Amino acid sequence: MIKITNLEKVYRTEEVETVALNKLSLEVKEGEFVSVMGPSGCGKSTLLNILGLLDDPDKGSFIFNEVEVAGFNERKRADMRKHNIGFVFQSFNLIDELTVFENVELPLIYTGVKSAERKEKVEKVLDKMQIMHRRNHYPQQLSGGQQQRVAVARAVVNNPKLILADEPTGNLDSSNGNEVMQLLTELNEQGTTIIMVTHSEHDSRYSHRIIRMLDGQTVTENILV
Amino acid sequence: MFRNYFVIAIRNLLKNKGFTFINISGLAVGMACAILIMLWVESELTFDGFHENRDRIYEAWNRDSFSGELQCWSVTPKVLAKYIREDFPEVQDVVRVDWGANYLFSYKDKRIKEDGNIVDSGFFNMFTFKLLKGDKKTALNGSYNIVLSESFAKKIFGNEDPMGKILKVENSDNFTVTGIMEDAPDNTRFKYKYLIPWSYARLKGNDDENWGNNSTRSYVLLKPNASIESLQTKFKDIRKKHDNEAGTGEMFLYPMSRWRLYSNFTNGKEDGGLINMVQLFIIIASFILLIACINFMNLSTARSEKRAREVGIRKVVGARRIGLIGQFISESILLALLGGILSIGIVLLALPGFNKLADKALFIDFTNGWYWMAFFMVVIITGLLAGSYPAFFLSAFNPVKVLKGLKQQANKIITPRKVLVVLQFTFAIVLIVATIVIRKQIGYAQARQSGYDKNNLMYHFLTGDLEKNYDLLRNDLLQENIASSVTKTSSPLTESWSNSWGMEWEGKDPNDKTLFNRFYADNQIVKTAGMEIIKGRDFDLNTYKTDSFAILVNEAAVKAMGMKDPIGKIIRDNGAEWTIIGLVKDFIIESPYKNVNPMLIEGAGGWFNVINIRYQTGSNMQSNIKKTEALFKKYNSEYPFEYKFVDDDYAAKFANEKKTGTMATVFAILTIFISCLGLFGLSTFMAENRVKEIGIRKILGSSITGIVGLLSKEFMILVGISFIIATPLAWLAMGKLLDQFTYRIDLSLDLFIYAGLGALLIALATISFQAVKAAVANPVRSLRSE
Ligand SMILES: Nc1ncnc2c1ncn2[C@@H]1O[C@H](COP(=O)(O)OP(=O)(O)OP(=O)(O)O)[C@@H](O)[C@H]1O
Ligand SMILES: [Mg+2]
Repeated sequence: MIKITNLEKVYRTEEVETVALNKLSLEVKEGEFVSVMGPSGCGKSTLLNILGLLDDPDKGSFIFNEVEVAGFNERKRADMRKHNIGFVFQSFNLIDELTVFENVELPLIYTGVKSAERKEKVEKVLDKMQIMHRRNHYPQQLSGGQQQRVAVARAVVNNPKLILADEPTGNLDSSNGNEVMQLLTELNEQGTTIIMVTHSEHDSRYSHRIIRMLDGQTVTENILV
Repeated sequence: MFRNYFVIAIRNLLKNKGFTFINISGLAVGMACAILIMLWVESELTFDGFHENRDRIYEAWNRDSFSGELQCWSVTPKVLAKYIREDFPEVQDVVRVDWGANYLFSYKDKRIKEDGNIVDSGFFNMFTFKLLKGDKKTALNGSYNIVLSESFAKKIFGNEDPMGKILKVENSDNFTVTGIMEDAPDNTRFKYKYLIPWSYARLKGNDDENWGNNSTRSYVLLKPNASIESLQTKFKDIRKKHDNEAGTGEMFLYPMSRWRLYSNFTNGKEDGGLINMVQLFIIIASFILLIACINFMNLSTARSEKRAREVGIRKVVGARRIGLIGQFISESILLALLGGILSIGIVLLALPGFNKLADKALFIDFTNGWYWMAFFMVVIITGLLAGSYPAFFLSAFNPVKVLKGLKQQANKIITPRKVLVVLQFTFAIVLIVATIVIRKQIGYAQARQSGYDKNNLMYHFLTGDLEKNYDLLRNDLLQENIASSVTKTSSPLTESWSNSWGMEWEGKDPNDKTLFNRFYADNQIVKTAGMEIIKGRDFDLNTYKTDSFAILVNEAAVKAMGMKDPIGKIIRDNGAEWTIIGLVKDFIIESPYKNVNPMLIEGAGGWFNVINIRYQTGSNMQSNIKKTEALFKKYNSEYPFEYKFVDDDYAAKFANEKKTGTMATVFAILTIFISCLGLFGLSTFMAENRVKEIGIRKILGSSITGIVGLLSKEFMILVGISFIIATPLAWLAMGKLLDQFTYRIDLSLDLFIYAGLGALLIALATISFQAVKAAVANPVRSLRSE
C-alpha cells in the first residue's frame, strides 16, 4: 500500500538546516498495524505528515496505492487525503466552535456526502465509539479520553484505508489510553491500515511491527506477530 | 457545506462579542454613509431624467465676450422663441418659461402667496408632467386658464374639486382652474406650484420684442430625427440675424442631460459643475467604506492565531485552500449583511438631517427592486473587500505548522496592518484639516465688514397697493416714530438684480465692458442702510427735488471709471442723465467671499420693488413689527404681511459654506469614529497577545507608565507617519478649495499641526484604555493564565 524510497526532508531556517528525514525507505502493506518509535526530534512526525500528504518531501519517491504522489499539487493532495486517510493527533485537534456531531461530520462534508447519509454515518460511528450521548456537546465539555474518541470517530467516519496516529495516547491516562488503543486495534482488525507514532512500549505492543528511527533514518524493525 | 460555514461563523461571532460589535458597527456606519451618498448621487444623476423627450430638449444659451472673457448665460429675450420657430424647420416646439412670479391667490376668504411661472402652452407636450385632471393639450390654451399642482390646489380648495373653479390672482384677474398636475418630484428644476399661459402675459403688456431685455428661458424641442450639429451652426447666428445691436453675441443650444451637472462655464467652455461635487462625494463614500473594511481586515488578521488551528484541522480532514477562502469570504459577507441591515436603520434615522443638509427630499423606496439590488451589491462588495485579504491570509496557513502551535512571525502579520492603519489616519487627518479650514474661512468672511448696518433693518416687497400708498405708509411710519428712516429700493440690500456695461461717462473707453451693479433707492438710502459717506451726501428729496436723478457711487465704481473727483460728474444710463452727489464706502451686496463690484445707486427716477425700514436701536422689536403690520394692513389689506430682516438674509449668504462645513465635520467624525473602533480592537488584541511579556516586565520592575508607553508607542509612530503623508495632500486639496474665494484665509502650518495633534490625541485616548488596563493588571495572575 505504501512504499517510500530514499525520502529526504530538510528544514531550513535562517541560521540552521535540520535534516528531518535522511534517505528513509519504508514499506507498509495493506491491513498492517505499524508503530513508529524513536527519540524526540528523530523525524517521526515529519514522516507521518508526509505520509498523510500534509507535507512535501524534498527528495525521494512516495508511492501510495500504486500511485506516485510525491509531486502532487495542493488540489490532488487534498483529494487523495480526504478519501483515503484519517488522522488522530496527540492534542485531539477538534474545532472548539463545533459540536461533537459537527466535528465528526466535517470530513463527510468535504467529500460531498449528502446530509441524510452524513447523519446516518456519523451516528453509526459515534455509536461505535460509545460517545453518541455526547453528540451535542462541545469539545471543552468532554474529558480527554472522550475527546480522543471523537477524534478517532472523525478519522474513521469516511472509512479511510489508512489511519495515521501521532502519539494518540500522549495526553491520556492509562485507562483512557488503553481504550483508544482498543479502538484502533478493532479498526485494524476490520481491515484499516494503521501507522502510529508512539513513545510508549506498552502501546506499541498492540501493533504488528515496530519501526525504530534515529536521526531521520530507520534503524531496526521488530516483527511482533 | 454552507450550513457548516454559517454555523461556525455565527458561533464565532457570538463567542467574540467585542470583535463582532466593533466589526458590525464599523461596517454599518461605513455602509450607511455609502448608502446616503448613493441616494444623493442617484438623485443628482437622474435629475430631470424622467422626461420622455429628454434627448431632444435643449435650452437656448448666450455666449458673448466681456473684457476679453467669454461668458455664457441662459436667460434670453422673449422674442427669441418666435424666431426659432420661424427659422428652423427641424424644431418641433419652443416653450418659454418666465423668470417666475410670486402671486397672491384669493379664493373665498383664503389669501395665499405662492411661486409659479408663466409658460407657453406647449409646456406639457415638451416636458413629462402628469396631469391628474384636465387635458394636457388644452389646459393652457385660454389666457385666464391656470394649472395648479396637486398640493397647492389642496391648500386653496381643501377637499373641493378645484376643476373649473374661479381663482382671483393679484387681486385683479379671475382665472379658471383647467388642470391639476401631479406634484413635481424632487429631482427636477421645474418645481412650479402653478402655471399660467403666456397669452396672459401678452394681454397684460408683458410680452415685448426687445432683444435687450433678457428675462426668460427658452426651451427647444427638436423633431425626432433632427441633427443637432447642423442646427447648432445655424443657431449660433440667430441673434446677429435679428438684433442690430447683437455685436459679438452668439447663441447655442444646451442639451438637457448637461443642465444639472455640467453647466459651469469658464471662458465659454463647460468647466465642471455639480458633477465635481458628485465625484468628490463618491470618493469620500468609497473611502469611508474602505476604512470600515480595513477595520475588518485588521481585526481578522489580528485574530488569526485563534483561527489558525481551525484552518489546520480543516485542511487535515480534506479542505482545500479555495474552499477555506470561500468559507472566510462567506463569513465576511454574512457580517457585511448584518452591518447592512443595521445600516438601513442608521440611514432611516439620519435621512431627515441629511435631507436638510443636502436640501433634498431623499427617501428609501422599499418596494423598488433596484434599491434592493443596490443594497445587496453594497453588502457583497463590502463583504468581498473586507474579507478578501483575511481570507487569503488565513487560508494560507500550513496545517503542519499551526497544529504544532508554531506562531506566525509577528512582524510579517503586522506590516500590512500598519499600512492600513496609516491609510485610515491619513484620511482622518485630511478631513480634520478640511473641517478646520472651512470653518476658519466662514468665520473669516463673517467677520468681514459688510459696509452697512444690517441690524434693526427690515424689508418687505412692494406687493399689491404698497407702491401706490408708499408715501402715506412712509409718512405714518416716521410720524408714529416706529421707524427712524425709510427708503424704497429696487432689490433687497442683500441682492443685486441688475447690472450693465452700458453706462456712459465723460472719458469712457468705448471698448470698456466693465459690469456695474445697478441699484435704485429713492430717499435717505445712506441713512436707512447705515452706509458710510466718504464724500458728498445722501439722497435728500425733501431738500433737493433734483435728487430724483442724482446718483451715489461706491469706491469700486470710482476706481473703475477712473475718476479723480466724482462729485458733480454726469453718468448716462438707460436714456437718462444722473448727477453724482455722493461717494459711499464699498459695501457687500453680493458674495462676502468676493471683491465688491462697482455699483451705482440711482435715485427716485428708477423702479422699485422693496421697502426698507430702519427701526430705532434699542426699541422693542416685537411692538415695532406689530405697529408696522397694522400700517401695512391699513394700506395693503388684501395682501399678507411678509417681512424679512436684512441681517437674516445676510447670514443666509453663508448657508452653503456652512453646509459644506457641516458635511466635512460629519465625515471627519465618522472617519475618526470608524478608525478608532478599529484601533481599539487592534490594541485589545495587541494587549492580549503581550499579556505574558507585560507580566514579566512588571515583575522585573517596569512602571505602569513605562508599559503604557511601550504599548502605545507603535501606534503613535503610525499616526505620525499618517500626519506626514496627510499634510501635503491636505495642503493641495485645501488650496484648491480656497481658490474659489477671493476673500480668503491663507493656509498656515499651525492648522495642520492642530489636526495632527488632534488625531494623535484621539488615537492615544483610544489605545491607552487597553494599554492602561493591561499595564495595571496583576502580573501574577496574567502569568498563571499562560
Ligand atoms: N517547521 C520546522 N522548521 C524547522 N525545523 C523543524 C520543523 N519541524 C520539525 N523540525 C525539526 O525536524 C526534526 C524532526 O522533527 P519531528 O517533529 O519530526 O520530530 P519527532 O520525532 O516527531 O519528535 P517528538 O517525538 O518530540 O514529537 C526536529 O529536529 C525538529 O526540530
Ligand atoms: Mg512528533
